[in-house]
Amino acid sequence: MLRHGQDGTIVLIKTRDLWKSYEMGAETIHALRGVDVNVEAGEYVAIMGPSGSGKSTLMNLIGCLDTPSRGYYELNGRLVSEMNDNELARIRNKEIGFVFQTFNLLPRATALHNVELPLIYNGSDSTTRIEKARRALEMVDLGDRMTHRPNELSGGQRQRVAVARALVNNPSLILADEPTGNLDTKTGEEIMGLFGRLHDAGNTIIIVTHELDVASYADRILHIRDGAIEKEEQVRH
Amino acid sequence: MRAFLESVRIALGALWVNKLRSVLTLIGVIIGVTTIIAIVSMINGMNAYVANQISGLGATTFIIDQYGMVTSEEQWWNVFKRKKITIDDMKAVADNCPDCAEVGGRMFTTRTIKRGSQYLDDVYIVGATANFVDIVKQEIERGHFLTDDDYLHRRNVAFIGYDVVDNLFPGLDPVGKEIKIDGRQYTIIGHGTREGSTLGQSNDNYVFIPLTTFEKQFGSRRSLDLFVKAASFEIMDETQDQVRLVLRARRGVKYHEEDNFGIMTAADFMSMWETFSSGAAMVMVGISSISLVVGGIVIMNIMLVSVTERTREVGIRKAVGARRKNIMFQFLAEAVTLSLVGGGIGVALGFIIGIILTAQIGVPAGVALWSVFLGLGVSTVVGTFFGVYPAVKAARLDPIEALRRE
Repeated sequence: MLRHGQDGTIVLIKTRDLWKSYEMGAETIHALRGVDVNVEAGEYVAIMGPSGSGKSTLMNLIGCLDTPSRGYYELNGRLVSEMNDNELARIRNKEIGFVFQTFNLLPRATALHNVELPLIYNGSDSTTRIEKARRALEMVDLGDRMTHRPNELSGGQRQRVAVARALVNNPSLILADEPTGNLDTKTGEEIMGLFGRLHDAGNTIIIVTHELDVASYADRILHIRDGAIEKEEQVRH
Repeated sequence: MRAFLESVRIALGALWVNKLRSVLTLIGVIIGVTTIIAIVSMINGMNAYVANQISGLGATTFIIDQYGMVTSEEQWWNVFKRKKITIDDMKAVADNCPDCAEVGGRMFTTRTIKRGSQYLDDVYIVGATANFVDIVKQEIERGHFLTDDDYLHRRNVAFIGYDVVDNLFPGLDPVGKEIKIDGRQYTIIGHGTREGSTLGQSNDNYVFIPLTTFEKQFGSRRSLDLFVKAASFEIMDETQDQVRLVLRARRGVKYHEEDNFGIMTAADFMSMWETFSSGAAMVMVGISSISLVVGGIVIMNIMLVSVTERTREVGIRKAVGARRKNIMFQFLAEAVTLSLVGGGIGVALGFIIGIILTAQIGVPAGVALWSVFLGLGVSTVVGTFFGVYPAVKAARLDPIEALRRE
């Protein structure tokens, strides 16, 4: 079920007063202090902030890897903040494609098998799986590297495998955490170009980064500091 | 199913990558299962052999001897002073037991036998009645067995086993030829078929001579073993009672006293064997369960290492949508696959050892299909039991923590 905003756009992410707190001995540390975020379907958003600002915590919550201590989070019309472990796993599988700074590929598996991974957990049969994984790899121009293992691929190619894995299940959100952090400038630009193409094709993308260069590829930047949204800016391209 | 095959593939891959570690990991399970299979095949083979041997005695035959079955030292002190059983006792039984179809007897000793300058040591010299051929179903290859006339006239005639033929008459027909037992000359009247050996003991190392001749040559201080065949299986109990009555009267047993002789039937021998083989089975359970527990702990340990090594993998899988049960199942399937590989090797080794050992002791190995399932079943249980803890540990990993781990 999709909700429509006031101007007719589709609201994909809606958080209200999102808190995340950790008990450190006698102290309570608030990583997030009441964050409100709205992201519409098809948007390209960057979450930017220095380390320790709470941007990783926010990413984990948006990515359904964690649940908030307090507050409300709705993804694609579903109330995520109240979900249990299994329901969260299902949401991660169907709604979210992750791209990590360190690629996070299975080292002993081929590119094709790495891309297949999300499909294994939604019960697709192997023919469908291989077909979809192949298409996703072709989409990131790795059609000729399917049987290579991660250690036989360059950093840029590995990150493209990770992007293919994120795309394969047709998620409503692609969530990238410092996707260029382990790449040289040129390869980083290539990957950002790939995100741009995916955005043009209609995907919703959120990039978490501490680099303004990277963040400025997005249409909108959310600046986060000390666990709260400090300011929001539109980027002119 | 898909997830299962995937897990099996991962497990086999991991096993193959670390071959030495895998062998060390599996050694406990291998030893445990090998023990089970080897002993099961041996007992199985022995069962078939013993059943066959005992059925050679026949269900209607029973044996009476001086001591009965002595299974403890204490029992021995109670029986060792018993009176011996004599040929006269045998005659009395034959005369006073209407339900006895055959009453026979034997005594034996071991002697060296000679033919010219050739000789054979430690041959069983059995003094027997003529009807022994029917009672113990002695097979005849050449000539004939002892006769009643041989018995009555205390003739020096001998019915020999194949070891005697092989050693003293190689390639010859021994019938009509002479051998010497303790210096006395015997004429060979026939020989038995080749029976092979059991537990390293030859079954062909015998010479039958008439019981009367035996007493004449070796004296009458030995006790006689009586072999009685009942007319039918239905009247086995009555027949035994008749024999018991005769012997108790002749041997002066008072009304309230126990028999001072032992009666043993094929069923008694069978149950004695069963006691022995179930004892061996218990020893097997003991040895193998120790190895299996050790093997299981080693598997648990290696799975815990595997979970630690692959924490990041668990994080990745969880991030792309694996649920707790998927992760749990993956590691459990790995543990079971590991254990099953060990079990498979154990089954194969167990069969080989069982076959070699039974061949050594001259008994056919009883390779039973069900013991394959037993071996694999046991290893599945071990893998599951000891795999649960590491699997649960992996399944409970927090995805964020797991992804952060190097």
